[in-house]
Amino acid sequence: MDDVYNIDRIAPPCAPSGSEDDTGDAHFVAAPCQVACPVGTDAPSYIAHIWDGELEKAFEAITATNPFSSICGRVCDAPCEPACRRADSDGPIAIRNLKRYVMEKLGKDHSLPPVKVSRSETVAIVGGGPAGLTAAQDLAEAGFEVHIYEMTDRLGGMMVWGIPAFRLPPGTIEEDLSRMLARCPGIKVHLNTSLGTNGITLDELKDKHDAVLLTIGAWWGKSMDIPGADDDRVIDGVEFLRRINGGDRPELPDTVLVIGGGDVAMDACRAAKRLNGGKTVKVLYRRGPDEIPARKEELEDAIKEDIQIIYNMQPVGVTDSDGGFSLRCVETSLGAPGEDGRRRPENIPGSEIDVPCGLVVLAVGQAAASDELESHDLMNRDRVKTDWSTMATDDAKVFAAGDGAFGGSTIVMAMQHGHRAAYYMLAALNGVDKPLPYRTPFKTRRVPVAQDVNWEVLPRQEQTFHGLGDAPQLFPEIMTTYTDQQAKDEAARCYRCDAETGSADYTVKTREDIFVMARTEPEDVITQRAILEKRLILRDDPYGEDVRASLDDLVFLPANLSRLVIDPYRDACNVATSLCDVLNLDSPFMVTGFDNAPDEVKAALAEGIRQGGSAYVGRRPLADNVPWVQLIEVGDTPASDAAIHVHCPAPGSLIRISKTPGVPQGLAVTAADLETAIPYALNNQFDLLVLLGNGPIGAPWPELAGEPDLTAIRDAIAIMRRMNREEDLGIAFFGGIRTGTDGAKLISLGANVMIVGAAMGFALGGRIEGSGLAFHADYSGDDRSEAAAMLLQALSGEAAIMARCTGKTNVHNLEPEDLRSITLKTARAAGIPLAGARVAAKAKAAAE
Amino acid sequence: MATIDLAATSVREANELIRNYGAKGEDVDVINPDARHHIGVGLVHDIKVHVQGSAGYFCAGLTDGGRFEIDNNVGWGLADNMLGGSVIVRGNAGAIAAVAIRGADVIVHGNIGSRAGQVMKEGTLLAAGSANFMAGYMMYGGRIIILGESGEKLGQDMTGGNIYVGGKINSLGTDAHQIDLPGDEETSIREFLDRYQVPFTGSFQKVVNAGKKLRYDKIEPRVRNVPFFVASGNSDYWNEKVQEDIHVKSVIGRYRIRGYGATRPLPHLSDIAFKKDISTISADTNVVDKIGLATEIGGRNGGKPISLSMPVMIAPMSYGALSKSTKIALAMASKMSGISENTGEGGMMDKQREVAGQLIYQCLSGRLGWNIHDMQRADGLEIYISQGAKPGLGGQLMAKKVTKEIARIRGIPEGIDLRSPSRHPDVLGADDLVIKIEEFREATGYRVPVSVKLGAGRIRDDIKIAWKDGFDFVELDGLQGSTGAAGNEVLEFVGIPTLSAIQESMDSLDEVGGRGDMPIVLMGGIKDGVDAAKAIALGAHAVAVGTSAIIAGGCIACLQCHVGQCVVGIATQDPEHEKRYDTPAEALHIHKYLESMRWQIAAITDALGHKNVHELGRDDLVALTPEAAEITRLPYAPEYRQSAQPRIREAG
Repeated sequence: MDDVYNIDRIAPPCAPSGSEDDTGDAHFVAAPCQVACPVGTDAPSYIAHIWDGELEKAFEAITATNPFSSICGRVCDAPCEPACRRADSDGPIAIRNLKRYVMEKLGKDHSLPPVKVSRSETVAIVGGGPAGLTAAQDLAEAGFEVHIYEMTDRLGGMMVWGIPAFRLPPGTIEEDLSRMLARCPGIKVHLNTSLGTNGITLDELKDKHDAVLLTIGAWWGKSMDIPGADDDRVIDGVEFLRRINGGDRPELPDTVLVIGGGDVAMDACRAAKRLNGGKTVKVLYRRGPDEIPARKEELEDAIKEDIQIIYNMQPVGVTDSDGGFSLRCVETSLGAPGEDGRRRPENIPGSEIDVPCGLVVLAVGQAAASDELESHDLMNRDRVKTDWSTMATDDAKVFAAGDGAFGGSTIVMAMQHGHRAAYYMLAALNGVDKPLPYRTPFKTRRVPVAQDVNWEVLPRQEQTFHGLGDAPQLFPEIMTTYTDQQAKDEAARCYRCDAETGSADYTVKTREDIFVMARTEPEDVITQRAILEKRLILRDDPYGEDVRASLDDLVFLPANLSRLVIDPYRDACNVATSLCDVLNLDSPFMVTGFDNAPDEVKAALAEGIRQGGSAYVGRRPLADNVPWVQLIEVGDTPASDAAIHVHCPAPGSLIRISKTPGVPQGLAVTAADLETAIPYALNNQFDLLVLLGNGPIGAPWPELAGEPDLTAIRDAIAIMRRMNREEDLGIAFFGGIRTGTDGAKLISLGANVMIVGAAMGFALGGRIEGSGLAFHADYSGDDRSEAAAMLLQALSGEAAIMARCTGKTNVHNLEPEDLRSITLKTARAAGIPLAGARVAAKAKAAAE
Repeated sequence: MATIDLAATSVREANELIRNYGAKGEDVDVINPDARHHIGVGLVHDIKVHVQGSAGYFCAGLTDGGRFEIDNNVGWGLADNMLGGSVIVRGNAGAIAAVAIRGADVIVHGNIGSRAGQVMKEGTLLAAGSANFMAGYMMYGGRIIILGESGEKLGQDMTGGNIYVGGKINSLGTDAHQIDLPGDEETSIREFLDRYQVPFTGSFQKVVNAGKKLRYDKIEPRVRNVPFFVASGNSDYWNEKVQEDIHVKSVIGRYRIRGYGATRPLPHLSDIAFKKDISTISADTNVVDKIGLATEIGGRNGGKPISLSMPVMIAPMSYGALSKSTKIALAMASKMSGISENTGEGGMMDKQREVAGQLIYQCLSGRLGWNIHDMQRADGLEIYISQGAKPGLGGQLMAKKVTKEIARIRGIPEGIDLRSPSRHPDVLGADDLVIKIEEFREATGYRVPVSVKLGAGRIRDDIKIAWKDGFDFVELDGLQGSTGAAGNEVLEFVGIPTLSAIQESMDSLDEVGGRGDMPIVLMGGIKDGVDAAKAIALGAHAVAVGTSAIIAGGCIACLQCHVGQCVVGIATQDPEHEKRYDTPAEALHIHKYLESMRWQIAAITDALGHKNVHELGRDDLVALTPEAAEITRLPYAPEYRQSAQPRIREAG
């Protein structure tokens, strides 16, 4: 499936109006399966919905561009599957059967809300097959009244007349049709109405309607120009299937030969096998197994049903002698490619053999025919003369699509024709002169990737194959769909080629570009140039105006040659932290924010903090034996059992603070108050400065507001240094600590200890609700205390690793020189030079 | 019996002579050794070399099969990486005696220095005297017999192998413990002592790995990458990915592991544009022939340079992290495109050597797969100091990935949990490195380049040291460099971006006048010929592609390399998964990708008005973001950003 690696896929043209999709999205590349689908079915989305059990959403994704989803779930040619990336690995995702699973699961009565007629114009569609009906639905959804004129007694075209019941059980078509008619009450159906004087003429249609679409199908099987082709025992495959699908069950001779290698040949041979009681059925195809157009799966199923496929065999006539009736054939070899690019079979002289048989079924192509259209000069041999780029015929009011216009093809291609014709008809009806070229719409859904740990391991889930069954003549269905578990397992296997990788460098777009590079011939300079043109389009500035200074944009400088790294197996990295000589913590992290949390959460946290050797910072103590740093707001009473008192004056107003003798005193301030607060703290012999990166520490979950203000620590250190009192105050930082790495960065910037709030909230199962975190009963107390201890351990371990990487054996030895910024905003906010910039520039950045 | 007088002969000439005598099967007497370094290095034949005096560093290092006898003392690194044969030292040995040996008998009649037998894999080290601290440090296999005192921290973080002590055990290292000595092992020890005529009548205590630190008790829950709409770009501070991270860590209590490199947007070559509008490049069939692309690298010290058909190499990646099939495909593609392949950590495969045109052989701290024979068939040797993905950390390969074949090629017992140290046993500073490089050159007769792989950190200083130490070239890896498995925090936040790295390295070389003398190969997020051309214009001599080449060969960038069940058969050792990888087909894909890079580099060079890719320079570039301008000091010209409007074309 090289075409799914085509440059056109990674550089899709604009979506025409009315079918806007995600192709303009910076992260979007259509998945190969979606590109391979003629109607652009968003398979990755519906597959992911299946894994999630969201079948109604899956249904919406499936039916968005496919009005015959129930049918396609069984008999679609499924070009998506060979296009599936996993086909190269351990077998493609069974996209088709997953569709069937959803359609069967939801049942026939599930449909979308109806669309009313809103336009005064009406449209006529001649032929109720997949192309015509698809166009009908599109046009009806656009508000038109659509009249379908069908020459037989039922809608469906080749879907009902061409596909035998063992592949498509009766009732399936009704599901899709009733869904369509429920959705589109503006569709009016005229059965038993053929085109021409027996039914309705083209002129009458043009007179009654504002536009006409001819989807007349390729209804007639082609014959072969060989002696004896007119024998009664040589029949047309399309007609044969039509009889059977009309309910006829003819008795067949013991040996049936089917000539051809396409879908009709496959259906005909399998129907014959059932009708002749499982006796001999052979398929003769004039090219080899690599060339046969039949879908691989159907070919395999036919072989499983004991049908012989004979390759490189061409009929040249029939013989009817004493020995009985035979088809005379000649062996072929493949010669030079013909006009269609396929290698032509050439007869090998002298290789004639007679194959005895009772019936020969010709399935060698189909043709359209219409005397009425001939009379209007709208036919070109066996097709309606149609311009692919507009779907228009020579008559401005008349359009054409489907097999009748472009030759025999698949259901899903016919549906594409229907969409395409409807698009151009709509443009014409709306008076749009030159509409943008039509293309299939791509995805508009964004569905999370299935979180199945076995996605790499699960093998392709196979459907159960029943073959001929116990009563072949009754045409029992050959396969059943998945169980729920099978469907989930199969859905888990999807690579999700459409989803972002999560890497800014190797984005899904870059990956796809590389795939194209890897599949383009070096000599194909046209494509090479197109790829280069695309690669020259640069990303937007990742650090534009709206990006804020962030801890994420600081990096550590690792030790290498000029400093030695620490070998963890030799030297442990020390993380123990002492605060104000009274608190001895196992690591440089304390916890805050749970004053108003439910009691069971507080109790669990207390246990976790004890295990983790940490302390709690709050207006109220957490538990008796948890070290407590008291936050004292205006009106609070200093507690004697608190290890440290931290005063939290209202912003901008340093009030008189009454200190408690014998207890270390701290002051909590934001960046705005540092110039007054630091001299005040130093002059009044305070011990600790609590820097507020996210505003008031006592308030509920202030960190959820976003990035902490790094200027707080930058300025605090600068002021203390200016006063030459850098060592005289301990520094605690509150705001936005998510990881041990964040902590290590703040230590490098000058902090001694970090106060963790929201991160601990999330660890204990908190979920964002409104402007705060809410705790639900889905965690047990043990879960929570374990989570608290584990998070503290992880934070401490991560901080230690950062220190080790820089060549330090103690986290508290980290210094500003161990950091670099990667954005200018962060460089300014943190006072840390940009990585790679010159020393002079660094000094400048630091000074700013 | 030949005689070599080191008073009259240089060590380099002497080693060449010893190798020649070895080939002829003639024993050698070395007189007046004067404690010179590297005596006997590179010998691969079974001859006796009798050193009549003392030897310096790395005596008998990087050898296989020789029988060495040293009358007096030896310096550090005795029998470094020796594969087979024997060394008998009558006096004392310095630090790291028998470091990384893979099968030899090393007998020291006196005392041995610290860290004896570090990362040894097979063979026997016998000290008739006492050992200094950390004997058996991180050993993987083989045995150490100490007749005297053990020294402190005996068997520190040993993984495999046995230590037998006849004297006092001063203290045990972490994750080592003492167990009973089986009788048959004692018999075997006595036989060894008898064979080398070392008298000992006392009894032995046995020390082995305790197995307490090898495995985590809590497995990290697996999570597939969070999809695009929350994972990328300027998302919320407490976004879904951050919350998921906290939840996982609050279960496992440690940092998380994943594959690939930094995932955040970083200042990069994508923020640099060409000064000319080259979007009008014509589809010139001949542009590749018209533009000079051939690039030589590594001839600074007279070795045979690596000869590249274009300034692109395959980045070092190991067999172990990657499947054998993938490594073979890369080797095949490198040959088809006339560039070089690199073994990465973990050794050289015969098949890889066979199909690669030019193969660089990498030496890491654990000396896994390292041996004299592969050194002598390599086209370049490379000392790994660090990498962009995880600078400052050693590797870890879980037991399930240590298959029989990987164990064989790496020279370790099968199925052990494999840890490697953060730094080389014998490189504790820049001066040690000089002697180490010289050992490599001695072992290979000064015939091949010796390069260094560096993750970008304090580049300004590190590059000067690399230059002064005499490396032939530097493979310089930015923060965007990827790996098969590393801690997420280290991947994201340790190191500087590739763009900063190339700029600092050029500034550094300019400061010492080394520009043009020691080439820089830039890697870490090089995705195409556009990135390559920009890197070269900024001063890189060549670029190396790792991740991109892997993607060209079918990787889908799911970032799950660390799991070992790679869905396409690349980052896995599971034969069922590896089967999914079609080696010849993927080799061809990688080759075509490289050829596409070639076309891009040539077309860009041509469009910018140059005849040779090495004429590209800073004058060809402008910076599109303030960060890129500040880092590179290129003119800030955001107006050069090309429109990203998709083209309008007919489809279907």
